[in-house]
Amino acid sequence: MHKLWAVIRREFQTRVQSKAFVISTILGPLLMGFLMVMPILMASRETRSKRVVVIDGAGGNFGQSLERELSEARRGNGPDAQPRYEVIRIPAQGRVKAVQDSLVPLTGLARDTVHRLDGLLIATDSAVETGVVKYLGDNVGSPSDMGMLENFTQNVILTERLQRRGVDPVVVREASGRINLVTSKISEGRLTGESGAASFALAYAMAFILYLALLIYGIQVMTSVLEEKSNRIMEVLASSLTPFQLMAGKVVGVGAVGLLQLGIWVGTAMFLSHNAVAIAGFFHMPPESAAQMPLPAISVDLLIVFLSFFTVGFFLFAAAYAAVGAMCNTMQEAQQYSTAVTLLVAVSFFSIFSLLNDPNGSLARVFSLIPFFAPIVMPVRYSLTSIPLYEVALSFAITVLGLLGVAWIAGRIYRVGILMYGKKPSLKEVFHWVRTS
Amino acid sequence: MNEPILKLDRVTKRFSGHVAVRELSLEVPKGGIFGLLGPNGAGKTTTLRMIMNIIVPDEGKVVLFEGRKSGRGYSDRIGFLPEERGLYKKMKVVDHLAFLGETKGMKRKVAVHKAKEWLERLGLHDWTAKKVEDLSKGMQQKVQFIGTLLHDPELVILDEPFSGLDPVNSEVMEGVVVEIARSGRTVMFSTHNMEQAEKMCDRVVIIARGTKALDGSLSEVKEGYGKRNIALTFGSGGGGKAARVLQDRTLVSTLNDSGSSAELELAPGASSQKLLRSLVDAGVELLRFEVVNPSLRSIFIAKVGAEAATPVASEARNA
Repeated sequence: MHKLWAVIRREFQTRVQSKAFVISTILGPLLMGFLMVMPILMASRETRSKRVVVIDGAGGNFGQSLERELSEARRGNGPDAQPRYEVIRIPAQGRVKAVQDSLVPLTGLARDTVHRLDGLLIATDSAVETGVVKYLGDNVGSPSDMGMLENFTQNVILTERLQRRGVDPVVVREASGRINLVTSKISEGRLTGESGAASFALAYAMAFILYLALLIYGIQVMTSVLEEKSNRIMEVLASSLTPFQLMAGKVVGVGAVGLLQLGIWVGTAMFLSHNAVAIAGFFHMPPESAAQMPLPAISVDLLIVFLSFFTVGFFLFAAAYAAVGAMCNTMQEAQQYSTAVTLLVAVSFFSIFSLLNDPNGSLARVFSLIPFFAPIVMPVRYSLTSIPLYEVALSFAITVLGLLGVAWIAGRIYRVGILMYGKKPSLKEVFHWVRTS
Repeated sequence: MNEPILKLDRVTKRFSGHVAVRELSLEVPKGGIFGLLGPNGAGKTTTLRMIMNIIVPDEGKVVLFEGRKSGRGYSDRIGFLPEERGLYKKMKVVDHLAFLGETKGMKRKVAVHKAKEWLERLGLHDWTAKKVEDLSKGMQQKVQFIGTLLHDPELVILDEPFSGLDPVNSEVMEGVVVEIARSGRTVMFSTHNMEQAEKMCDRVVIIARGTKALDGSLSEVKEGYGKRNIALTFGSGGGGKAARVLQDRTLVSTLNDSGSSAELELAPGASSQKLLRSLVDAGVELLRFEVVNPSLRSIFIAKVGAEAATPVASEARNA
């Protein structure tokens, strides 16, 4: 036990003291904070109203309605929200083309920001009839700008069409009011106060972190076994430590480093999301904007599921990677063999995209019962929907069994492999090691 | 002979088709320096690895400390320096040694203390807090040597401990080995350098191609071989003139010709007088003509033949 501890400590210490660890541990939270604050900061900086000319070639009130609708649009919903558009309407019946041609040279100017126009919206009768509305501008590449404009125009055209058919404008206005779907997540019969978008973001972020951590730390185990083999320290170690102590010490040591790093990251994320309002204040942003920060709150039970599945999953994959490292002599060989292991991690990560649509579907359930996939699939499902405790427990138990199986096979490969130099073993030979060693 | 601290009983190890060690039996008594000699590829390293239980013998038994456990089970009482040496390049020297001590069951504090003592003693004091990769090869070898001895093992097993060291450092290490043996511990080391073994060892076993060729204390081995060896040193050009005389099978049975000097064993029935006369008659200028105890090298060559000194290709790889 003392010896195992010595190995664990060595693995842990040399890694935690390395520059790479310090840098990546600090960069993680910085990046998180950046992702949290930047979108809002960017959005709030964008205060300039877009100057749009409505070239009115239509009969009736269509042009005026369009002008009114756009002028009323606001950025955000506070009382001091800025108007979204500065609208100029130019009546141009019968000479739409000429007006348009004369205004194009004034649009999208980079230097002259005072006189510049951002876009030309062309209102014609045919637009009302066919629904094809022409807009010329320098922001046509922005999906959000165009979506917004399309929405406003759609409203006006709808109203105009109904009025032309003789419907009371008041009724039209009432009927065409916008609807807004407000989502909120229920879990275990309780409202969580989490929005649908936040729980999606959380699930995705978790899958990604698990995927990265399993790969990064798994491959670290592999390269460090290879290193011990190639710098020949293995023989000194093998004369005083059992293969079990060597492998378990390495896997646990590296795993502890991974857990520490994840802990720091998740801890920072929780701290940031709990203090979102204060952070918003620090950047002189209104407190409401904190709600827009893409950082969901993480519940304690989810954290437990996340960390326990990560731990077991990490041990499972790390043991497999250790065996690959023991089998090989060079990095190139190891890369070939490790592809098989990496593929398993990748499959479970990419399965997330279908899980997000149907977290309780049969694919999701089957994957949670396969030891190689459960470590990523289960925490993601758990974050998305409520899962009966027995299902979580079953999935965990199967993963632990899988871990024991993989560790048993990997241990046998490891025992023979670490002292094998020379040509790389064929799969047949490796199979022989597992059976006979 | 004392009770054996290590006993090999008809140990055999095969590697994919060829036999690396064949039915090797030997006993290492407690105390003193034991040499395991043999040319490259003779099976020395394989034997030592089997003693340490790094590889398992196919047949036969290894008994350590007259107990039941394997080499790794007794690893806290054994210091092992393998032929293939390595250190963690990125670790500090003192941390590395402390770790090696811990793998032998030492408390970390004690290990650090001992490591510093040894570093001081071998002149590496200034390098204590440096990273291993900053050390020269010779210094790294010393660090490995310290790692082997840190936990005061009763049995020290060294695989080619002096190879690659310059004469000064080699001398320092030899001194340490001799001192360990004087303090009542047992040292077993392998080498292909017969002169060094002759200088240091109390007992030797010579193996060639995986089988034992000779076994005994140095004096036993030499006495058993009789005083029928003659050492010659020639004056200028003497070697060439002597060649014809030394080829005479009625006078000389085995010859170890080194050019300006030679060691030979007299053929049965021949006498030293007769050889001397023949050499003088042939006009050979002699600087030395001495009846000697045979050297280990000449015993070895006489015993296993010169061709055994070169391993067959297939054996070399797993030496």
